[in-house]
Amino acid sequence: MKPLRLRNLTPQVALIPTWAIVIFAYIGTIVWTIRISFTNSGILPRYDFVGWKQYDRLFHSQRWSISVENLAIFGVLFIVGCLVLGFLLAVFLDQRIKGESWFRTIFLYPYAMSFIVTGLVWAWIMNPTLGIQRAVENWGWTSFTFNWLSRGDRAIYLLVIAGVWQAAGLVMAILLAGLRGVDEDIWKAARVDGIPAWRVYLSIVIPMLSSMFVTAIVLLAIAVVKLYDLVVAMTGGGPGISTEVPAKFVIDYLFNRQNIALATAAASVMFVAVLVVLGPWLYSQYFRKGRGAQ
Amino acid sequence: MSHQENARGPKPKRLTSSRIGIYAFLVIAAAFFLLPFYVMVVTSLKGMPEILKGNIFALPEKPTFEPWVIAWAKACTGVNCDGIRVGVINSFKIMIPSTFVSILLGAINGYALSFWRPKGGNVIFAILLLGAFIPYQVYLYPLVRMLSQVGLYNTLPGIIAVHTIFGLPVMTLLFRNYYVAVPIDLFKAARVDGGGFWTIFFRLMIPMSGPILVVAAILQVTGIWNDFLFGLIFAGRDNLPMTVELNNIVNTTTGTKAYDVNMAATILTAMVPLIVYFVSGRWFVRGIAAGAVKG
Amino acid sequence: MKSLAGRRVAGIAGIVLAAAAAGPASAAKKAEVIHWWTSGGEHAAVMQFEKAFDAQGGKWVDAAVAGGGGDAARTDGINRIIGGNPPTAMQFNTGKQFDELVSNGLLRNLDPLAAKYGWKKVINPVVLSAVTRNGHMYAVPVNIHSNTWLWYSNEALKKAGVEPPKTWDDLFTDMDALKKQGLIPLAQSGDAWTQVLTFFNVLVGEGGKDLYLKVIKDRDVAAVKSPEFLKVAETFGKLRNYVDNGMQGRQWNQAIALVINNKAGFNFMGDWAKGEITHDGKVPGKDVGCIAGLGHHVYWIGGDVFVFPKVKSKAEQSAQDLLAKVMLEPKVQVAFNDKKGSVPVRTDVSTAGMDACAQQGIALLQKGDYVPSSDILISPDVTGSITDLVASFFTDKSQTPQQFADKFASIIGG
Repeated sequence: MKPLRLRNLTPQVALIPTWAIVIFAYIGTIVWTIRISFTNSGILPRYDFVGWKQYDRLFHSQRWSISVENLAIFGVLFIVGCLVLGFLLAVFLDQRIKGESWFRTIFLYPYAMSFIVTGLVWAWIMNPTLGIQRAVENWGWTSFTFNWLSRGDRAIYLLVIAGVWQAAGLVMAILLAGLRGVDEDIWKAARVDGIPAWRVYLSIVIPMLSSMFVTAIVLLAIAVVKLYDLVVAMTGGGPGISTEVPAKFVIDYLFNRQNIALATAAASVMFVAVLVVLGPWLYSQYFRKGRGAQ
Repeated sequence: MSHQENARGPKPKRLTSSRIGIYAFLVIAAAFFLLPFYVMVVTSLKGMPEILKGNIFALPEKPTFEPWVIAWAKACTGVNCDGIRVGVINSFKIMIPSTFVSILLGAINGYALSFWRPKGGNVIFAILLLGAFIPYQVYLYPLVRMLSQVGLYNTLPGIIAVHTIFGLPVMTLLFRNYYVAVPIDLFKAARVDGGGFWTIFFRLMIPMSGPILVVAAILQVTGIWNDFLFGLIFAGRDNLPMTVELNNIVNTTTGTKAYDVNMAATILTAMVPLIVYFVSGRWFVRGIAAGAVKG
Repeated sequence: MKSLAGRRVAGIAGIVLAAAAAGPASAAKKAEVIHWWTSGGEHAAVMQFEKAFDAQGGKWVDAAVAGGGGDAARTDGINRIIGGNPPTAMQFNTGKQFDELVSNGLLRNLDPLAAKYGWKKVINPVVLSAVTRNGHMYAVPVNIHSNTWLWYSNEALKKAGVEPPKTWDDLFTDMDALKKQGLIPLAQSGDAWTQVLTFFNVLVGEGGKDLYLKVIKDRDVAAVKSPEFLKVAETFGKLRNYVDNGMQGRQWNQAIALVINNKAGFNFMGDWAKGEITHDGKVPGKDVGCIAGLGHHVYWIGGDVFVFPKVKSKAEQSAQDLLAKVMLEPKVQVAFNDKKGSVPVRTDVSTAGMDACAQQGIALLQKGDYVPSSDILISPDVTGSITDLVASFFTDKSQTPQQFADKFASIIGG
């Protein structure tokens, strides 16, 4: 490789736009955001220094703790839901199914749709006056109630359902590709030994697919941290503040409540949390192994 | 990510009860996945009086395309009653240049990083990689201020720049991983023949990047089309993309709620990515896997 | 009334146009105005400004930004002001929303204009003090809106066999009767700001003027811990039992529509609800009844103002001068407020032609039974915290009034 690193300036020049983006749009903005979070800024940035005041307020804010709690509930249920449903779909599709490509198309199409579309459709289906509840009442089951959208303690689960609907197909697609890579001999051997199929899946196939699972989890986790559109379209954070999420907290304080210091403090907390969780993983994934890291 | 035509599961034994169970599960699952789409379509064809009777699952008694016409050309967001078609045009105006620029930059980055290994390449790569995961909220406020300083806030070039900036990590990663797999000897031979940076890029690399270009295009087209947050904050009122326009139409405070029109507008908004999905088929799955930020 | 006002404006327009045509050709004074008046009635109102401004040689460039009760418009305008590309004028709610722009020296001091046209003598004092910072006037108020209104459907009440309420106890009796009839007792929107509006109706109506001022203006924690405030919290909590399942996802105009169509008995909403009522061909005060501040009958003074950012060019400054002058002209004030459903900020214009509900409000104003709006008294940040608390309490019946009062105290004290 060495001789190829000529004193050629062109690659450096070609990377100038990227350098500019990295320096200004990534590093610069993060530094700026963190700086503002230590000030008393309102609508306009002020460059005083008030220490941890905004963080203190943030961690005492009921709305923030509800947001974080919701993110945890949504995150766990959404990821587990997608993995379980996606895995089952992939396994069942891998049984020499007639019309497999039809099923595949059906399971994956929601993933092509935006969270805004997903949220609006599910909000309509779950509409407490004209949605499922009313339909079932009209069918004769008059005592049926399904008003989770107007119940603060339940609305978050509807977000999970909508999210799983949108993204389970993604897990299915990734795992199906993995299942197709499982050696036929394993199945032959298992049949010879009379081991039931579910045991083979549980103790041999799933461990073999572990890197696929990791990929899926990472993809889903990114969606969880960025969760915003779905909430805006489906519940608007309500009823009350029962389905608020951190990303929405930041946007609201940034643009509506004229307190950019508190907003940037919240954003900084999100940043640090992601960094702590993902940093080591990214490092091990890409940099330990050098160029050939794949 | 090669697909084999044949499923590799355990050999099927004729029509046993477990086979029936498998099909039953798949059919029920398919119903769950199709239900929202079905509801969207029937609602959009019903007209409000029928909707108010309250059976969202029923087929329309008297199908009408009126809601579609209203959604397309007459639905109101505030005082503007031009329907969602304005948003369609804006979405295309945002999506096409953003896709093009971000792919071009991503390809250049991937190429430079994997073959030329310039100084600081690893730093760029590390930051971009991390950037792909960081919640956008961290960048928003400073970006708003920076763009308004240079007069790009709430303009078309501004929103295109934002999409390019945030599309860059995944695009770079995609092309880097693709070019890393290209035999280095090919590159060496081109160097020996006296090819410079750009010559090799345009003559050798781009022509052999067909598959990854398709994957990148699918990712960016659907990603940018489906974006809501950036459109909301950076596009400005003259360039609002379709997703934002849709949310405005649904939440507008003039007149009564027209669920039929809302659903028609929703389907219209979902149309472009769905077409991309149905046309691209397996490429879409490749796109997802490639976008999985997994080398 | 409306057509009369319209004709009058058109007449003036004709005269001024003729004058302009006769005089030396002067370039139109272009003014880009950011506002969030986008609903049908609001649009008709803002057209009154546009017409009058254009008639006097201006050229109105409309920059309406819809959404979020003005959030989107304010964000757009503030970013443009900070970015050095300010609009000619932009809308705010009467109150503290533009404080920071003033303290950073980004807005024009309007004292010279105020002196020239004698504004300080004719503008309602509460409103005037709300646009004054350190003794200087920084915004042009254009209307007075009141949030403390209870609207009711006469037909629904008749069906339930009850009379319009005089006290909060009456209200609950009425709502029980409505419930029995299968009607929605209280039409409420799911949007958080409408629930805050309902809360302030209770605080002002049930708690009274003094309690409101102690809690919101003086931020007196002891007042929040008083039995009076607890009573307010209890009353507000009790309202939770009278809303229907469809609240979530319903907007304010759909809530008042339920009252207009006699499907619901009551709705708390600001006086802009009149736009919806007249739009449906009904008469406010007759088909749909109105009560200003049920209980203690206190009028709430809020509204809208326009600020004028500092601009460089002389031409733009003179456009600002003209626009400010036009907005406060008596005839324009009447024409605008008539369409908007609000009350003119000038105390010297005739209000005789206004509807029965407006008369109720004007009577309270004249008696001095009014309070400044919460926007005037507290910052958007504190309003935000109150919004979170109120919305969370109103949508979750497991929270007790005592808990509500305790949390309220920590916001007010903090």
